[in-house]
Amino acid sequence: MRYIAIMLALLAMPFAANAHAMLDHASPAVGSTVASSPKDVVISFTEKLEPKFSSIEVRNDKGVAMQAGKATLGGAPTDLRVSLKPLPPGTYKVIWRVLSVDTHRTQGSFSFKVGP
Amino acid sequence: MRNALWRSAVLAGTVTAVSITIAGAHEIVGNRLFPATLTIDDPGVNDELAFPTIAHFKTATTPDTPAYRQTDVSSEFSKRITEDFAVSIGPTWSHFSPPGGPAMTGANGFQNLETTFKYRLFKNEEHEFVFSTGLSIEWGGSGAQSVGAERFTTYTPTIYFGKGFGDLPVDALRPFAVTGQFGYAIPGKSTTVTVSTDPDSGDQEVDTEFNPRVLVWGGSLQYSMPYLKSAVVDLGLPDVVNHLIPIVEASLETPVSNTFSSGTKTTGTINPGVIWTGQYAQFGVEAMIPVNRDSGSNVGVIAQLHFYLDDIAPDTIGRPIFSNFTPPGRPTFGQ
Repeated sequence: MRYIAIMLALLAMPFAANAHAMLDHASPAVGSTVASSPKDVVISFTEKLEPKFSSIEVRNDKGVAMQAGKATLGGAPTDLRVSLKPLPPGTYKVIWRVLSVDTHRTQGSFSFKVGP
Repeated sequence: MRNALWRSAVLAGTVTAVSITIAGAHEIVGNRLFPATLTIDDPGVNDELAFPTIAHFKTATTPDTPAYRQTDVSSEFSKRITEDFAVSIGPTWSHFSPPGGPAMTGANGFQNLETTFKYRLFKNEEHEFVFSTGLSIEWGGSGAQSVGAERFTTYTPTIYFGKGFGDLPVDALRPFAVTGQFGYAIPGKSTTVTVSTDPDSGDQEVDTEFNPRVLVWGGSLQYSMPYLKSAVVDLGLPDVVNHLIPIVEASLETPVSNTFSSGTKTTGTINPGVIWTGQYAQFGVEAMIPVNRDSGSNVGVIAQLHFYLDDIAPDTIGRPIFSNFTPPGRPTFGQ
């Protein structure tokens, strides 16, 4: 009975907790192809972010940085956004590093294509 | 004599029982989440609670003992001392259905308590690689002899690794990952001598059992749907599918020295299943398929509920006791 009570308490705790910020979805979408150059990259995470300790880099296939300025919070505290320079057709790698508000660090990357 | 026979008979069963008392810790390496595996340990060093882990299987038939059904209920609590060093402790309670147990009427009791010290030596985010080393101690005499718990302590130094295939050029293969462990179980006593009296003749009988040194090894092959969605291509699949990690684990033991009593045959199980991973917990279920007749009589099943304490309580029990990381001030959103 004691174990069941502990387990139920733990199951209830997540509603008040924070966790590692993992990528939930992105625009442009992970692995997608877009017809024309997007104005920005927006990544939605599963947790609120510390913007001062979070970044997005966008690199072309030669490794040249294509973001314009630093990443900032988007419309929600879980969204991180960075503006882009005009992107010619090609493949681009998005590299993100974030710190969630509970101080968990995570990082990752994905690619998208511009062109037909 | 009966006890001596019983000790020999449970040897194969003990191998399986020891394997399933070990639960792993999840680990995030770059894009990759290595989930906690059910039947082997993995390279993760974290604050976690696996509760409960329930395994049900049928033991092998031996010349002295017919097969019987065994159910193990275990848990494991893991606590980081520093960012890279953790200590875990895990009890296992076993139930043997008849004809299991010394009197062949069934038995219940705790297996020996197990403690694991694990240190993460190396982690490479870009190549999704992690390597750890550890020492597991099974404390002799802390469990019940009726369920085969040994009276001597066993020490198992072990290495662990995990490798994600995110750097492969073929997108469809990038969600794959492997983990593995190789340990060497060293019994604190090389022999166990049992003296008994024959009820018919009244003569004393001495039975000597040689306790083998055992290679404890295994691995997992996993395909991460969370990785597929967040790092390769977002296919717009249902949310529940995007949290699944199909997995096949192999949990094996091979006696390698002092094998006069045990022989050198490898025993263990191959365990296909699936793990659902959430933000704060994971749930996994796997079949347990014996690799040979010495490993079991039927396909068993194992299931586990596993809590990520570092995510549930990041400011208290879920952080290392000694940490050199100073959290920044909490931002105020919406202003």
